[in-house]
Amino acid sequence: MDLATLKANGIVRTQTARPPVRAVFPFGLSQTGVHELAEARFGDMPALTGFALAARNEGQNRGRAGAILWVTQAGLGMEHGLVPDGALRTFSPHHTPRLVVRPGKLADALWTIEEAIASSAVSLVVAEISGADFTATRRLALASGRHGVPVVLLMPYGREGATAAEARWRIAPRPSAPNRYDSRAPGAPRWHVVLERSRTAPHLAGRSFDLEWNDETLSLTVVPGLAAGQVTPPAPPRRGPSDASGIRRAS
Amino acid sequence: MRPASAGPADPPPFVLTESAQAGLIVAAANRTALDLGIAPGLRFTDARARAPQLLSGEIDREADARGLRNLAAWMVRWTPLAALDGLDGLMLETTGCDHLHGGEAAMVAALSQRLTRAGYAHRMGLAGTPGAASALARAAAKEGLPALLPEGAERDGLAELPVAALRLSNEAVTLLRRFGLPRIGQLYGIDRKALARRFQSRDMADAACLRLDQALGLRIEPLRPLQPPPAHSVRLPCPEPIASSEAVVEGLRQITETLCADLARLGQGARSFAFHAFKSDGEVSSLTVTTARPVRTPAHIQRLFRETLDSIDPGFGIDLLLLEARRTGPMNVSAVALSGDLAASDTDDAALAALADRIVAKLGPGSVRVNTPQESHAPDRAEHWHPYDGALPPPSHTHATTGPRPVRMLSHPERVDVIAEVPDGPPLRFVWRRVVRTVSRADGPERINPEWWRSLPPVGGTGKMPRARDYYRVEDSKGGRYWLFRDGLYDDDRGAAPEWYVQGLFA
Repeated sequence: MDLATLKANGIVRTQTARPPVRAVFPFGLSQTGVHELAEARFGDMPALTGFALAARNEGQNRGRAGAILWVTQAGLGMEHGLVPDGALRTFSPHHTPRLVVRPGKLADALWTIEEAIASSAVSLVVAEISGADFTATRRLALASGRHGVPVVLLMPYGREGATAAEARWRIAPRPSAPNRYDSRAPGAPRWHVVLERSRTAPHLAGRSFDLEWNDETLSLTVVPGLAAGQVTPPAPPRRGPSDASGIRRAS
Repeated sequence: MRPASAGPADPPPFVLTESAQAGLIVAAANRTALDLGIAPGLRFTDARARAPQLLSGEIDREADARGLRNLAAWMVRWTPLAALDGLDGLMLETTGCDHLHGGEAAMVAALSQRLTRAGYAHRMGLAGTPGAASALARAAAKEGLPALLPEGAERDGLAELPVAALRLSNEAVTLLRRFGLPRIGQLYGIDRKALARRFQSRDMADAACLRLDQALGLRIEPLRPLQPPPAHSVRLPCPEPIASSEAVVEGLRQITETLCADLARLGQGARSFAFHAFKSDGEVSSLTVTTARPVRTPAHIQRLFRETLDSIDPGFGIDLLLLEARRTGPMNVSAVALSGDLAASDTDDAALAALADRIVAKLGPGSVRVNTPQESHAPDRAEHWHPYDGALPPPSHTHATTGPRPVRMLSHPERVDVIAEVPDGPPLRFVWRRVVRTVSRADGPERINPEWWRSLPPVGGTGKMPRARDYYRVEDSKGGRYWLFRDGLYDDDRGAAPEWYVQGLFA
């Protein structure tokens, strides 16, 4: 029986293979699938936003071009403020057109995300929502896998429990880097990022990264040995395809 | 028009009252009351003197107006051009619509029958000019007996009617009657100048001549329709009233396809669609969807309607579906690029607009927004949010060189209590949202002066003038980074000691 017959009988069918996600930082964040970013404490939403925008520049196909859809549940926007377009410009080398939707209810927000994924009109969906149960994340994950539109969910600190998302990150701000020109001024922002769960790299779950954002090179670097009470991830010998943390080290 | 009072053949006299300057007066009366000589305008005490058993209620003019508007909206069934005429009348422009109902007489009869069934007492007139039709309805027509006048026969048809039918003021009618001119026909032969001289004022004379000319078609009287007439519309009469939602969906599919085919033939698309479902009990449910750019894809339009289609309750059955295309415009259709590399831009504008349409249909108008950057140093003016209209804003070329800007901006600056060095030191400690935050590092100030050209100085003082803001970028001991500003300087003479606010949060 040749392939054509098998196809005709519906035994096999062709499917576009998903590009393999290498277990390299940021493990597909804002490139494939649904990723959850959660606050470590109440009020860490700015750090979350910064990390989500910064991570767009990392990885293999960095910064997919095209419009993005930004969904902000109304209550969260009142609580933590809104993301101005200027913030996108400072974090990305490209012009990123953005549509903003502010639904009042969680159900409407989830509907909007799913609709945007299914339309394939946007290159990324960023959503600030108050929560999502397993079924909701499963729906989003399936839709995202089918249509190839990545989703980043920014969630408040109480986010726990089961999820069907590709990964869950927990982010806390750290005191910023020393400012080279003015020792009394804050420097480059630093974040403490924990990869709580990951489907792409399950063996790295629980791993933490202390990252620093460089606004001149638009890149994230690992901060060695400075993070309070945290063991710095071991330096990889050489960068390669199987490199677990394929990010540059700060000099 | 007033709802017919259902009940026994001889109902008790009943009036609606409203308060006027002279006290309570009669605003409307039923037939029994009219027969007793109780007419609108009479003082209520006089009316009760004539009929002690008089029943009364207060008139609700707003509800009446609302009911009349609803009835006018329902008239879309007969013609797209329906206008209000006074407090109790409707004016329909039926040119070109009568053939859909089998001629003018048949249309008027069918309309009258439906109004009667819905419980509306009415009088109808049909003529070549609005003035003549109005005169017929007011003076010639009887309940359930419409008066029709063929086009061009206004002069003869109106001759025997009283002048009160001409929509004149009460004073003018009284005056004409005193001159011995009670009928419209008697006005034809009188010289216009001689007629005008008899009136007290020039305005009244002009009004009388105008109404006469309008009735005779010598002067044009444009209608002001409630809804602008749609560019295209498709109707689907149902021989058997439909009562299931599946049938409504199927009917919507058929008329959408017909309408889109019409639009495609003309190379046009529409940005707004209205769907009316007329029920056999005389009510109408209407849905409207708007799109970001002109469209004519049946599947897309049906999808937009599907979000709200459940709100149509078929009730006792729907006997007519009507779809209107509004705000039509040319569509520039271009072939879809074969591959993403060949596309002109990274964004598929049509797909994006379709997505926005669906979100708007679900969440309400204006829910999808885009930002157009503005040339302004003031952070709250640098962004201008407006509903997405199918065009993404172009990449901004900000000429302003600014300091670092926060990643999140609070919608309104929030007041904080600050300990800071006077006059222009950075904050050392502040309380925001009831949490004390100790500043470990600070950067600033970045002074942003108010845009003086936006606010004129108030007369006799400088109390309300906008003040310069000194922005500081601070970091607290826990790693939170804030954008604070001091509203005003200590020595700017523009009010009390300056206050501090949090405007944004850094990543």
